[in-house]
Amino acid sequence: MSKTIKIDPVTRIEGHARILLDCDENGKIEEAFFCVNELRGFERILVGMQAHTLPQVTARICGVCPTAHHLVAAKALDNACGVTIPPAAKLLREYMYMGHVIHSHALSLFVLAGPDLVFGLQGDPAKQNIVGMVHAEPELTKKGLRLRSLGQKINETIGGRGIHPVTAVAGGISFNLSDAQFQRLRELTTETVALAKELSGPIKTLLMRLFEDNPRLLANLNVPSWYVGTVEKGGVLNLYDGQIRAMDESGTIKTEFSADQYIDFLAERTVSTSYAKEVYVDFQGSEHMYRVGSLARLNIVDGLSTPLAQAEFELFRANFGRPCHNAVIQMYAKLIEMLYACERAEQLINDPGLRGENRVPVQFKGGRGVAHIEAPRGTLIHDYEIDEQGIVRAANMIIATQQNTAVINKSLKEGANALMQGAEDEKMLNALEFVVRCYDPCLACATHAIGRMALAVEVRRDGRIIREIRRN
Amino acid sequence: MNSAALIVCIGNELVADDGVGWVVYERLKESDLPEGVRLVFLGLGGIDLLEEIDGEEVLVVVDGVQLGAAPGTIHQLGWNQLPDASPRPVSGHGIGIREAISVGRKLYPERVPQEIFLVGVEGKCFNQLGMGLTDEVAQAVPKAVAIVLSLVSGTLP
Repeated sequence: MSKTIKIDPVTRIEGHARILLDCDENGKIEEAFFCVNELRGFERILVGMQAHTLPQVTARICGVCPTAHHLVAAKALDNACGVTIPPAAKLLREYMYMGHVIHSHALSLFVLAGPDLVFGLQGDPAKQNIVGMVHAEPELTKKGLRLRSLGQKINETIGGRGIHPVTAVAGGISFNLSDAQFQRLRELTTETVALAKELSGPIKTLLMRLFEDNPRLLANLNVPSWYVGTVEKGGVLNLYDGQIRAMDESGTIKTEFSADQYIDFLAERTVSTSYAKEVYVDFQGSEHMYRVGSLARLNIVDGLSTPLAQAEFELFRANFGRPCHNAVIQMYAKLIEMLYACERAEQLINDPGLRGENRVPVQFKGGRGVAHIEAPRGTLIHDYEIDEQGIVRAANMIIATQQNTAVINKSLKEGANALMQGAEDEKMLNALEFVVRCYDPCLACATHAIGRMALAVEVRRDGRIIREIRRN
Repeated sequence: MNSAALIVCIGNELVADDGVGWVVYERLKESDLPEGVRLVFLGLGGIDLLEEIDGEEVLVVVDGVQLGAAPGTIHQLGWNQLPDASPRPVSGHGIGIREAISVGRKLYPERVPQEIFLVGVEGKCFNQLGMGLTDEVAQAVPKAVAIVLSLVSGTLP
């Protein structure tokens, strides 16, 4: 005799994402599933398209991380054409990308996770959201939103458009900085470093308070797994390019590989609970559950190449070890990466090589183009088969959230088991939503339509609903 | 950039009826907008909206919605009738217009438009890429465009 508890949806669209909990008759959770209903038909619409349109088209998949898709598609086209882009193009692309990462991490920290930090995990979720946070911490929120906006401004200037950038192309970037833009961006970038520095103290204080106030939940989110992220030469973090590094749960670096070898190291598996495939590290004949994203990256790297971020990283590692398995610490990792992105942006805008020749001619010769980037939420791979006429014949993508799904499920199971026995409905919902938020999933890179936002929980035993909870 | 009215169309033109905001945007671009009316397109609503508003008299947001009506139904809602997003979103997709405006009222009151409307077109399909609008929604586009134009012109149809 077992029962299923279904939480549906955790986001704004019904059926868009939900949580299923399978319990035995004593209420113990046997399995937990975070179900992402991926948008369907993606590969189908890319096949037959002209390859040079991929950076624009794929950027439109997602309103949250368009620049990651835009740039990784351009990189995959560079590889398909067998060209090395000019140094200035690489610097400009990376600078655009740092703007995007600043925007994305500030959004995550201040808008999504911020209310958890400011209000803690108890209380009324209807009041503990971004609107409540603005009233409780107006200055902190205002500065956080300013930082987000500056990142977006950098992204928008280089990318040509804010929401869906258009400038990265096969062979480089179709954009030249004017003197006026250059001066303006230098000022804005300097401001990002100052703001990130100013905000990191208060955010860290709030984080440490959250850790201290919730020892039980934190213990339950300590889920060992492998980690995957990207390093450049010297083992330091690079979000735009480098080798993919995999580390096991004990902190041993097991392998490094380039994006075009991903098929040899990452195994995709279809699952019945979601359109999204789960992904495992396939190493020496066995499959390992792993995570990507900020925490994974700071676990796998040996250091960071910018001073403020490196100093904070040393504290992080001294406090939480290597690897740190605790999903809640992801917020701290995000803070460190946000510092890094601001400092790195400042290095890039001041690099004399930024304003040189930035495009080489390209020709599709027929064959594959594979590339990766560290999207804000983790390693993102685009893999295209392009014929000699420049037409897409096949496409495959590995996105961050599908790589994290197996660990999210495990965390939900452990979090729910710690809470289920006698937990009030509202408390259970809040805690499970908190678990999901810690992983900062990008839900299907999808739609956002207004309406149908009620959160529902179904408790079933032998296929029959015995309990139903609905928020709103 | 201060103008009398701002029209913000939201949507993802790759995703079936979620593309209705984009289609309305394209139609409005081709039409003669009254003087002082600014038109922008956003992939997502939410916090990005705060960057666009600038103390206009009227803000009209156009978006695909799922409010439970028949597909193609056009909802013309005032600020007080806007539905809430989920109280605690788990991703950036979950932040709505209502939250953004509430944040704006506290942090940047001078930027928040005086009157705010949502023109929401009830959609049918929101998870299929590359198929265009469903017939019901496509047929509602001219009326949605007319409503938007009347709202920014200050005359209701």
